[in-house]
Amino acid sequence: MQARRTVLHTLVGPYVLDAVTGQEQADFERHLQACEQCRGDVRGLREAAARLAAAAAVAPRLALREPTIAAADRIRQLPPLVASERSARRPGWRGAADRLRLPGSGVPQLRRPWLASLAAVVVTALAATAIVFGVHVSVMQGRMSAMERRDSAIAAILGAHDATTLTAQVRSGGTATVVMSHRARALVFTAAGLPKLPASKAYELWIMSRAGATAAGMLPPDYKGMSGPVVVRRLTPGGMLGLTIEPSTGTGQPTSAPVVMVALGG
Amino acid sequence: MVGGKPSGEGELRPGAGAGGGHGEAQGLESVLAEVAKGDHAAFRAVYDQTAAAVLGIVRRVLRDPAQSEEVMQEVLLEVWRSAARFDASAGSANAWIMMLAHRRAVDRVRSEERAAARELRATVAVIEYDEVSDAALATLEQERVRRCLGGLTDLQRQSVTLAYYGGHSYREVAQLLGVAVGTVKTRMRDGLIRLRDCLGVE
Repeated sequence: MQARRTVLHTLVGPYVLDAVTGQEQADFERHLQACEQCRGDVRGLREAAARLAAAAAVAPRLALREPTIAAADRIRQLPPLVASERSARRPGWRGAADRLRLPGSGVPQLRRPWLASLAAVVVTALAATAIVFGVHVSVMQGRMSAMERRDSAIAAILGAHDATTLTAQVRSGGTATVVMSHRARALVFTAAGLPKLPASKAYELWIMSRAGATAAGMLPPDYKGMSGPVVVRRLTPGGMLGLTIEPSTGTGQPTSAPVVMVALGG
Repeated sequence: MVGGKPSGEGELRPGAGAGGGHGEAQGLESVLAEVAKGDHAAFRAVYDQTAAAVLGIVRRVLRDPAQSEEVMQEVLLEVWRSAARFDASAGSANAWIMMLAHRRAVDRVRSEERAAARELRATVAVIEYDEVSDAALATLEQERVRRCLGGLTDLQRQSVTLAYYGGHSYREVAQLLGVAVGTVKTRMRDGLIRLRDCLGVE
């Protein structure tokens, strides 16, 4: 045990430089919780690292300033942690970056989805979506923030370290957005601008694979043009997410062709 | 050290931005406390004080100017969103923001590298150090960091800059430099300690 601790302690430098990855990073952070001296070391060295950032400063284009500041208007702020939560959190600033890790993350890492240009957008905070996908997403985001308070599952997926955002055009009109965490084997689905349906019809989500289709939830009626969010869990590798138009009572199997299909990778 | 400051009151960080440089951290803690309450003017002040350093470090890591601008905006908005979670006992506001920036840039690089074929950019080792001062923005702060980096051994400096500016993991750095991983780990730590002492970080 002592030897292991010593080994972990030598990671102080790499850790401050964000040069420790994967399990080792998790191990070190656990170690940090128990090691007052390490936390002190990290604190001091981090100040030094921040000066390296300052030394690289490049004035941003003026045109970026106002849109960025204005975008804050559309983003709900996280509440402070009250004492009981704080003690349950990791030490330091880990929580602020919202890298929630889900239990059962020993699931093998699946391959990245193929939507090449969008696949790499890592959403570690809701803030990212507003910028990448524009204003209509910010409405969704407002709803997501509201949901976030009710449903920690959504927050956990959006905040997952490996969260990936995919968007796809819906054949009948509108845009579907999927934020997925392979590790959590779960995703959050939302859509913008879907055509309105008569009361007898509704949009329904399916997980589709060679084995067939499994119902993954009905979309609630849209709100300001936004549908969802709906959480889909227990994803398996190689599946597709499909959206169909069905009787509003729901069906056991899809009865119409999907208006959008999203490959989930793996 | 900032340790245990209860109220988040303004704090003067000696040495920071003596030349009116970017990344100046004067009073950033108190400004951040206002941001946490939803104060847009305070957010503007945070932007003005940190955006250049955030963009700088993100661009160092990502290289792509357009993508870097996007990430810079994401980082600033993350600061807005998480301001109430800033914990002054864990360090200065400036260090917190730079940590968010660096992590996000590195996350972006690593997710892309996993998706694409891995390419080890061996050339960074050579150019990073000399590039530290961007002519257009040469400030006293930059000169100081540059001088302090010059005081590190070659191996310390390369280990630190390949990881921080290059966004490489320590194992990659070891491979790039052709040294044992254990050596790289200690050089990173020793290099940062020497840098900290030279820069007069509290």
